[in-house]
Amino acid sequence: MQESREVRGRTVEEATERALEELGLRRDQVELTVIRKGKTGFFGLGSEEAAVLVRPLKQNSEEPTEAIEPNEEIDTAALAKEVLEDLLRLMNLDATVEVTACLEGEAQDAKSISLDVKGDDLGVLIGRRGETLASLQYIVRLIVARYQRAKVPISIDVEGYKQRRYGMLRELAVRLAQKVKTTGQSTVLEPMPPDERRIVHLALSISPDVTTQSIGEGEVRKVAIVPRKH
Amino acid sequence: MGGNMKELVEYIARSIVTIPDEVSVNEETNSDSIVLKLQVAAEDRGRVIGKQGKVAQAMRTLLRIAAIREGTRVQLEIM
Repeated sequence: MQESREVRGRTVEEATERALEELGLRRDQVELTVIRKGKTGFFGLGSEEAAVLVRPLKQNSEEPTEAIEPNEEIDTAALAKEVLEDLLRLMNLDATVEVTACLEGEAQDAKSISLDVKGDDLGVLIGRRGETLASLQYIVRLIVARYQRAKVPISIDVEGYKQRRYGMLRELAVRLAQKVKTTGQSTVLEPMPPDERRIVHLALSISPDVTTQSIGEGEVRKVAIVPRKH
Repeated sequence: MGGNMKELVEYIARSIVTIPDEVSVNEETNSDSIVLKLQVAAEDRGRVIGKQGKVAQAMRTLLRIAAIREGTRVQLEIM
């Protein structure tokens, strides 16, 4: 079980968003306590950061119990693998699926499942900025959740694409943080999906020089790296 | 062709609805594209569309990949 953590932001909403991104959870999967509401101030004068305390709730507690009990005997990883294989076959893709160890930086959970798709010419499965891969992952999660009557975190990678991308993002984050520190100017990364924003937040969460925040909505949501005030 | 694309939609829809028996997909083939018409029980419509159309959008993304492989274009309509 993860412990509660305190996260700050300009507003309560922003702090909450960040906390959820860092934990890789949704709003309904955490218990939220507002510590400080924060003040916007005037042109940044007299502003005060908002702070929230988030505590991850136990998995599945939000799922209403239905007539059929979750079938514990079915190995969820095997089920997820089978569903993914079925989908790939129906998409006419020649690929195999391997159950792998958890990706570094993914939501840490004993039940979390990682699958890697292997094969030739799978760029099409990744799509622009990983959009196709995100859709595939979404559908597999939906189907497995339906069968298991519980939400299971499933992460799908294609030929190590996410691993490489996460590594690249971490390096980029550290490099940009250095630049922000020396120039004193904030910088904004290109729009990224939630899992990638989370990697950036995490990479810089211990930085003494900068803080990070997500700005923008939906598809164009991106991470800003801001110098820490001393 | 497009047999697999129809199957793909059927597979996904049947796996996420509450009444799989009421899932049907009709296929209309035009000269250069295929239209797939997905029908589900009234109470399951929301499940195949999803919040802000997220499920439908994800299905369309996967269909597009299958269509590229078959050298055609595909359109998914939810009836």
